[in-house]
Amino acid sequence: MTLLKVEKLYKNFGAVKAVDGISFDVKRGEVFGLLGPNGAGKSTTISVVSTLISPTDGDILYEGKSIIADPKAIRQKLGVVPQDIALYPTLTGYENLTFWGSIYGLKGSGLKKRINEISEVIGLNGRLKDRVDKYSGGMKRRLNIGAALLHMPELLIMDEPTVGIDPQSRNHILDTVLELNRQGMTIIYTSHYMEEVEFLCDRICIMDQGRIIASGSQEELVELIKGETQVNLRLDRMDKNILETLRSIKGVSRAELIQDEIAVSGENIDMALGEIISQVTGHGRRISSIDVKKPNLEAVFLHLTGKALRD
Amino acid sequence: MKVISIIIKDLKTILSDKKAMAIILAMPLILMVILSFALKGTFMGGEIGNMSKVNIAVVKQYDKDMDVKSFDNMLKSGLLSQGIGKEAAEELRVSGADVEPEKMFLEDFLESEEVAKIIDFRIEEESRAYDLLDEGEVSAVVLLPPKFIYDMKINLLTPFRNKVNIGVLTHPDRSINGQIVQAIIEAYSDAMSSVVIGKNVLIEAAMAYELGDNGFSGMKEVMEGISNAIGNIRVNLDDIVVEGRRNISSADYYAAAMLTMFILFAAGHGGRMLLEEKDNITYQRMIIAGTPRLGILAGKFFTVFLIALLQVIVMITFSTYALKVRWGNLYPIILISVSAAFAVAGIGIAVAAATYRAGNYKMAGIFETAIIQTMALLGGSFFPIDIMPVMFRKLSVLSLNGIALKAYLKIMMGYGTADIISHIAALTGIGALFAALAVLILGGKGETADVKYNKAKTVKA
Repeated sequence: MTLLKVEKLYKNFGAVKAVDGISFDVKRGEVFGLLGPNGAGKSTTISVVSTLISPTDGDILYEGKSIIADPKAIRQKLGVVPQDIALYPTLTGYENLTFWGSIYGLKGSGLKKRINEISEVIGLNGRLKDRVDKYSGGMKRRLNIGAALLHMPELLIMDEPTVGIDPQSRNHILDTVLELNRQGMTIIYTSHYMEEVEFLCDRICIMDQGRIIASGSQEELVELIKGETQVNLRLDRMDKNILETLRSIKGVSRAELIQDEIAVSGENIDMALGEIISQVTGHGRRISSIDVKKPNLEAVFLHLTGKALRD
Repeated sequence: MKVISIIIKDLKTILSDKKAMAIILAMPLILMVILSFALKGTFMGGEIGNMSKVNIAVVKQYDKDMDVKSFDNMLKSGLLSQGIGKEAAEELRVSGADVEPEKMFLEDFLESEEVAKIIDFRIEEESRAYDLLDEGEVSAVVLLPPKFIYDMKINLLTPFRNKVNIGVLTHPDRSINGQIVQAIIEAYSDAMSSVVIGKNVLIEAAMAYELGDNGFSGMKEVMEGISNAIGNIRVNLDDIVVEGRRNISSADYYAAAMLTMFILFAAGHGGRMLLEEKDNITYQRMIIAGTPRLGILAGKFFTVFLIALLQVIVMITFSTYALKVRWGNLYPIILISVSAAFAVAGIGIAVAAATYRAGNYKMAGIFETAIIQTMALLGGSFFPIDIMPVMFRKLSVLSLNGIALKAYLKIMMGYGTADIISHIAALTGIGALFAALAVLILGGKGETADVKYNKAKTVKA
């Protein structure tokens, strides 16, 4: 059952088309992913969906009703975890949760009970009496999530909630998201980390330059590059001239420089592996590592845009 | 409910901010103590000459030629000749010609070294003098009454004594300077009374011992003593008391002056609040949570209001017990404090709205560094406004702290609530005006919010 439907959404900032006519729908009870590089339009889309900004054109329906026409109707049902830490650093964790709970209309013993429950969920029980500016980055992120959960929203929107934190905190957050989803919460999760989206999301929209370039389940997206394999090569010294040579090899459909690696992809690439190695060494370069990758969202994005998600 | 939550949160945030607390509470208490003690001897004492002088206008309500003629006629009349002989009467007439009450007052007294340190005077027509008083060009008008020359000559040269009332008109807004002028004129009157009493004692003694005309032979020496008597007039400004009014000490003055200046910093602090919320993304988060923009603004208004009130309570309590400042009746003091806090809150959210719209802290910075300091100067927080140049005094109506300071000082001096109603109305009006301005600035259609990489207009909450 569709909970949220985005219809031909546009958002312009002057001449810049931040969101360029995207449409998608989110089903009740699923984790829906918005994947794309920085500047793809994910945060702008989230800002419109969360009723913070109004669109240039298009509509968003929540349970069939336009939230553009009546933003107040959805706000109590929404929980939004902003990409930035939206907390008061000089207050304690408990004071922060008390404030955000009261903003959502909770009070008295009900509020206290919810704070206790949420502190368990986000794993900050015992640290809530500390000031937030004494927290680690991961703890702040978890509190940032907790503040959005107090009023038990139907739809939780999480905008890159794991940016800049340690792996342990990231894992805790990902587990929390899955647990919330198991409890029935619908979640929109944006990230430019492919692994997180692969791990969490039932369905995914891949965005680039304000547009949705692909959408579907992970399997459906990978199907787009069915049979295509990717080989990542790390050389002793990078040479861009090699890329043209590699692209000319039979069976190679794409060769791109991604950070300090060369990503070579194509159908039955393993059959061309010998020629690839031969061409690289022929250019006087030594291969320090070879990594053959299964088709994934990274490869899908590369396939569709010709650039890496991390660009 | 949301507004109350915002207020509680903001108060906790400010109270946990040591830097803000230092500026808002500790600094004024320290300055209050330093200024009170440092300026204790100079505030209203003999060293006031270091500051600007008190300007007065002197109005001659008498006709000098007529008065002199009347006195001569009186000497020739039979009234006086009953007591003294022809020779003595002639001697009185001759020595009386040397007695010039106008010169005594203007040159021997007002231009004496002691008085000239404090007062600058000018002779003016009566109507012009009143205009100058209204315009603040002079702090007082001294009225030398009709028949001043005649009456003074009678008092100084004859056995009789006529009542001479030298009038002093002061402006209520420059009460301190007015009190100084009144005290000086009283000192003059006292000195003259001593001379007249001395003269009468001389004459009465002569009559008692039946010395006849010889009783008037020492009159010349008595008159010569007048200049010395006038020259020796000492004005102790610390003892100035206006009828029904209390003196303002340096501690009194600077307690009120620092209070009214430093509550402006609450407005300065409030001026940053909205943009800080926006930078922290907490503003956007509140909007997403369904908090109306005007609700957020109202929260900031009452936060600044309560912070200003907290400052007032702490400063009044501290100055009362530590500096022995007498604030006067509690009810009008509460009235002034509440209306001043209201005005500060209004200005605070107007600055906050403008700062938010500008998207940077320049506006709040200008308010804190330039506007507060200017208002403090114009309002008399650094020096009493009465001793400042006329132009500054006229501009003082633009300062919120100046209005509040005048009201506090009036209550300290013993004025009633009715005397500060205009100040209360002005402060309340300022608060309401700026609050309305803030609503206009922030309450437009849509507003700018930071989406990660772009500027956008948020929907109306």
